[in-house]
Amino acid sequence: MLRNCPIPFPPVRSVAVAAAVFAASLFAGAGLAAPVIGEPAPDFTATDSAGKTWSLSALKGQPVILEWTNHDCPYVVKHYASGNMQALQREAVDAGYVWLSVISSAPGKQGHVDGEEAAGLTESRNAAPTAVLLDSEGAMGKAYSARTTPHMYVIDADGMLVYMGGIDDKRTTDVADIEGAQNYVRMAMADLSQGAAVGTPVTRPYGCSVKY
Amino acid sequence: MPCARAEQSPRMPRGAPGQRARAVLLLLGLLLLAAPPAPSWSAASRVTTEHVTARLVTERSVVAPGESVDAALVLDLRPGWHTYWRNPGDSGEPPRIDWRLPAGVEAGPIRWPLPERIPVGPLANYGYSGRAIHLVELRVADDWPVGEPIAVVAEAYWLVCEEACIPEQSRFALRLDTAARSGPADAAVADVFGAARAALPLPGSVAASFSRDGGLLRLEVPVAALRARLSLPEDFQIADVAFFSDAWGLIEHAAEQRWHARDERLVVDLVPGAAPPDVEPAGLLVIETPDGPRGVHVDAGASAGAAPALDPEAFDTASLGLPGALLLALLGGLVLNLMPCVFPVLAIKALGFARQGGAPLRERALHGIAYTAGVLTFFAVVAALLLALRGAGFAVGWGFQLQSPLFVALMAYLFLLLGLSLAGAVTIGTGLMGIGGGLETGRGHAGAFATGGLAALVAAPCTAPFMGAALGYAVTLPWLPALTIVLALGVGMALPFLLLTLVPGLAGRLPRPGPWMERLKQLLAFPMFATAAWLVWVLSVQVGSDGVAAVLAGMLLLALSLWALEQTRHASSAVRRGVGALAVLGIGTALWLGAATERQTAPRHDALAGEMPPASHTGLSGVAYSADVLSGALAAGRPVFVNMTAAWCITCLVNERVALSSARVARAFVRRDVLYLKGDWTNRDPDITRYLSGFGRNGVPIYVFYPPGRQPEVLPQLLTESLVLATLGDDT
Repeated sequence: MLRNCPIPFPPVRSVAVAAAVFAASLFAGAGLAAPVIGEPAPDFTATDSAGKTWSLSALKGQPVILEWTNHDCPYVVKHYASGNMQALQREAVDAGYVWLSVISSAPGKQGHVDGEEAAGLTESRNAAPTAVLLDSEGAMGKAYSARTTPHMYVIDADGMLVYMGGIDDKRTTDVADIEGAQNYVRMAMADLSQGAAVGTPVTRPYGCSVKY
Repeated sequence: MPCARAEQSPRMPRGAPGQRARAVLLLLGLLLLAAPPAPSWSAASRVTTEHVTARLVTERSVVAPGESVDAALVLDLRPGWHTYWRNPGDSGEPPRIDWRLPAGVEAGPIRWPLPERIPVGPLANYGYSGRAIHLVELRVADDWPVGEPIAVVAEAYWLVCEEACIPEQSRFALRLDTAARSGPADAAVADVFGAARAALPLPGSVAASFSRDGGLLRLEVPVAALRARLSLPEDFQIADVAFFSDAWGLIEHAAEQRWHARDERLVVDLVPGAAPPDVEPAGLLVIETPDGPRGVHVDAGASAGAAPALDPEAFDTASLGLPGALLLALLGGLVLNLMPCVFPVLAIKALGFARQGGAPLRERALHGIAYTAGVLTFFAVVAALLLALRGAGFAVGWGFQLQSPLFVALMAYLFLLLGLSLAGAVTIGTGLMGIGGGLETGRGHAGAFATGGLAALVAAPCTAPFMGAALGYAVTLPWLPALTIVLALGVGMALPFLLLTLVPGLAGRLPRPGPWMERLKQLLAFPMFATAAWLVWVLSVQVGSDGVAAVLAGMLLLALSLWALEQTRHASSAVRRGVGALAVLGIGTALWLGAATERQTAPRHDALAGEMPPASHTGLSGVAYSADVLSGALAAGRPVFVNMTAAWCITCLVNERVALSSARVARAFVRRDVLYLKGDWTNRDPDITRYLSGFGRNGVPIYVFYPPGRQPEVLPQLLTESLVLATLGDDT
């Protein structure tokens, strides 16, 4: 019977692939496409300095903060030498966040470290991240369109991206600028703790470029 | 990565770091090759770091109170290293200068040269390599004591990056002397300031539209406006385009920018950035030209997303808005009544009306309305023609009909005819749908209608003040509001006569008719003859002496034919028929001669624009406008005064006579080394039409002063000598 003949549609998956190829071609040369606020944060799988594997999907139910870092970058130095970043890490971890510092420097480039060096940096700087992820391939950095060190992302307990951008609004390397600066990560955490939407969800990240 | 270690200390020590002596020596060697030797540094201070040689220089070492001097922070960068533009792109930080200046001295903002796009892996920065020059204007107050030196101290911060980044800072101190007159430009730094100005975006901004289209942010700019602002030739083909957004997040800085030019619009497809949607869509559009890259600021202007208005930021017209434009048009129309080409027509009309005495109100009102309808019909026809021509892609502007020698010749005939009629040499039959019929006695409404049309027709050469801005705004609008503005002009023009007919007491206040009216009529013939003479002169500019000869011959034949007709009015029918045939032949020949002017070629445009005859223009000699001359002078940092004029534009001629021809003005131009560029729009000239449209204008006159390195200033359409002197900064 004619009625029972299935209409030959292309399989859903190949349509999706074609769409993805088309979308990618639109962004040809873009290199990076920023993730979108209010949508699920890009999933990732990466290994930390102790060799443990982390993925976002495994962290469902917990809010996550991502911090792109490069210990030789003067903008990163500003926030570590002053103790500002470490204080923020402790505050976040105490509030139930998983804090992942991410190093996307490629081998041979500034800021690239192995697991041992990364652990040494955490210790010598008295830092308090939950873990330090080594992303020397840059896959995770590119998935998040991480541009600078530092570049901060806040993901809520449902896995939604709620903040991306700079750590604060004073785009300098001057330690004296930390006091009085609006810390956007702290503001996002405050909004989330109230159950409110993040008031300033996107800001300009500032710092050195990520050394992909 | 030889310099990675330096990044560990966010502050570099001031002065030359001794432990890096080798690199410093190398750099010094390079600098000796690149920079002039010591004497020029007397007014500067210089710091050399591992990656940068930085200095602060001023263009002059002596400045007069009340004037300004340009300073420059010059960063000479080690190869491979770069500093940043005001929007640094994906990372980085623009240089910053904190000025420590005494009260009475103020520093302007940094004027940023065109940036380059610097790819960094999958990211991109906007910045500079080689040499980055940051120009800043320092203004000294009027009351600064002459002779008292100025201590200029600046703390500058910059981030210099290769792949790694190093923040650096330095304190510069230098001394500026003051005197009654500013000193000469320092030759040793002339190349620095010359290069800096040549690399600046062109002044002003061009209105663009930004629209979101799928996943793209589409930027569209009218090519004509770009050509005008960038002074590009008409046949210029765009070879490459780059858009640098003002703010972070408007676009993905590293994304490919696809562009095409179609239907006179340049379209650039950008990948939107992550910023919130309220970020202002604006930036720098840089176009590759044979003379190197040229850039101009583009923004969405007042009418975001809609049809672009021209130059919303820098100039007044687009911010006019419809109500403002309507008001200006109304005023312009009112003022038209006082223009020498209109006033006689209106005066005679009014007197003729008064002679009719006490016609009933209804009758009078219909008369006034018919006149108004005549004016409006004429304006509507001209506006429709103008809009249609523009729609068809012709570069035309207000007064365009006068750019046709044929039209000018016919207007000269018309004014001759009106003059003869007023002088009483000929009577134009009232039965003729005639112009003259309605002029004086025309009781019929058809006559009043015709008079209205005639008044509007003869008004064409007289661009009144206020009209320019209103009409310039009108042509940027869709046809309906544009037509409304033009009709407002007509209403303004018709208003005085309309009021005369509608307000009962008014007509009674006119002087009583009497024999004096005949004399006044004859007197008013002379402005008509004067207008005819002037139109013949316009023709001499348009088509040269042959055209003048043809039209003068035509005028003679016309006058003779009309006189012959007049004389044989009461002769026998055979004589009348014979003379009539001859007169028709004469008038026909006159028309043919007038039409022949259209085929004659212009002598050269230089009659107005080129070297002025010394007798008529005391000393102020102009150079013919061309976009190249203008951009060349601007690039060289020379102040420029642009005057766009036409032989048929009375306002232009009056301004030139009143405000631009005195010896004082000429001296001020010489003293300030101002280049006087004169554009002649007597004949059609697409370059000038484009220039006008760049300022949101559609007619002459326009006067624009370009102070070096700053936004151009548009002067009012009515000039005075003191205004010109004040604009040039020479009013002392």
